[in-house]
Amino acid sequence: MQLEFAGKQYELGTGETVLECLERHGEQMVSSCRSGVCQCCLVRATAGAVPRAAQQGLKQSWREQGLFMPCVCRPEGDLAIERSDAVQLFSSRVESVQELSPRVMRVRLTMPEGFRFAGGQFIQLVRPADGLMRSYSIASLPGEGALQLHVSRQPGGIMSQWLPAAAGEPVQLRGPLGECSYVTSEPERPLLLAGTGTGLAPLYAVLRAALREGHAGPIHLFHGAAGIAELYLWRELQELAERHANLSLSASVAGDAAGEPGVSSRPLAEQVLSDGPSPKQLRAWLCGNPDFVRGLRKQLYLAGTPLERIHADPFIPPAAGH
Amino acid sequence: MNQPTLFEKLGGAAAVDAAVDIFYRKVLVDPRICHFFDTVDMDRQRVKQKAFLTYAFGGPASYSGRDMRAGHAHLKLTEEHFDAVMENLGSTLKELQVPEELIAEAAKVANSVKNDVLNR
Repeated sequence: MQLEFAGKQYELGTGETVLECLERHGEQMVSSCRSGVCQCCLVRATAGAVPRAAQQGLKQSWREQGLFMPCVCRPEGDLAIERSDAVQLFSSRVESVQELSPRVMRVRLTMPEGFRFAGGQFIQLVRPADGLMRSYSIASLPGEGALQLHVSRQPGGIMSQWLPAAAGEPVQLRGPLGECSYVTSEPERPLLLAGTGTGLAPLYAVLRAALREGHAGPIHLFHGAAGIAELYLWRELQELAERHANLSLSASVAGDAAGEPGVSSRPLAEQVLSDGPSPKQLRAWLCGNPDFVRGLRKQLYLAGTPLERIHADPFIPPAAGH
Repeated sequence: MNQPTLFEKLGGAAAVDAAVDIFYRKVLVDPRICHFFDTVDMDRQRVKQKAFLTYAFGGPASYSGRDMRAGHAHLKLTEEHFDAVMENLGSTLKELQVPEELIAEAAKVANSVKNDVLNR
């Protein structure tokens, strides 16, 4: 049996695990328990069948991405794999930049050839001239043409200051990354979408993917923003809610809610916990401010939501000076 | 016939699955130790709890004393921290209605790495 790893062909010995085979051929692999428990050694299958035992205990979204534990994987046929952190680089171009609010703009990027993604995943956007790189979620869905990002103007933010004048400029994309996408296998489940600022971008994609799939369970979207002017998709969301009886909307703004229905100054996490779906039932996507995401994920978990049903990609702010 | 192992008597991997969320929720709200567990990457942390429970259940995780030392030395743990984990382990198993003698066996396994975990 053949094992293909990063373009190289290795012969699997009888009864040998994928991890043992890689190590025998001199590949440097991280591992710890070597018994399918610690999940340190994860790799991704790109072709071939992964035996069930090698994915035992992994999150569903990881299994769907082909991740498995090579330490307990004895393939029954040829298998092609790559490291789990392997991501492809694609060429694209800034198509247009449009103001959505005083802080937020919608950036459209041309769809690179062969780029496959699920709405809500994120990319790393690279400025070719100097390699400057920032992560952004994809707010659009496959089949919609250009890739759409929501970019917040950051004081002193190099990328967000460059983008408004970058229409027509070439860029590169790394990805797609992350697991903030819609799960098609449970159309009845109550869905919770909660995010602050441009954390709305992946939620908007997940929401529209759910509606496109005819999701039957209730969907409650919560958006938190600095002010009413920063609820930058509120009108579009309301139009969706008018057409879909199972969609509810709530928003939290700092300061005056101006009597807007569904909007209040109550903290977002508090609104989610009191007005959102029952924690034991829901599947959640949480995005935006890292303290908000971390706090709410913990509270939902303690209230009974399995971690496997809480999607939250870690947002890592760029290091100072980069 | 071979005697069933502790892991088999406790119910194997399915028992670990049943225990892990009960246990992790307990340590997350235990003021003595929650700061060690309340990290950004809860998924990763939950997997670690699972590895620990698999070990305490006498399951197939091959950790050496050296792994235990290396993994915990930077935390500068004390007797109180270790006791808190043991208490949460015991109350988790009680909640799952595991018989006392099996709880004692699991506690014995977990206790066997105490010196390594506390780096002494």
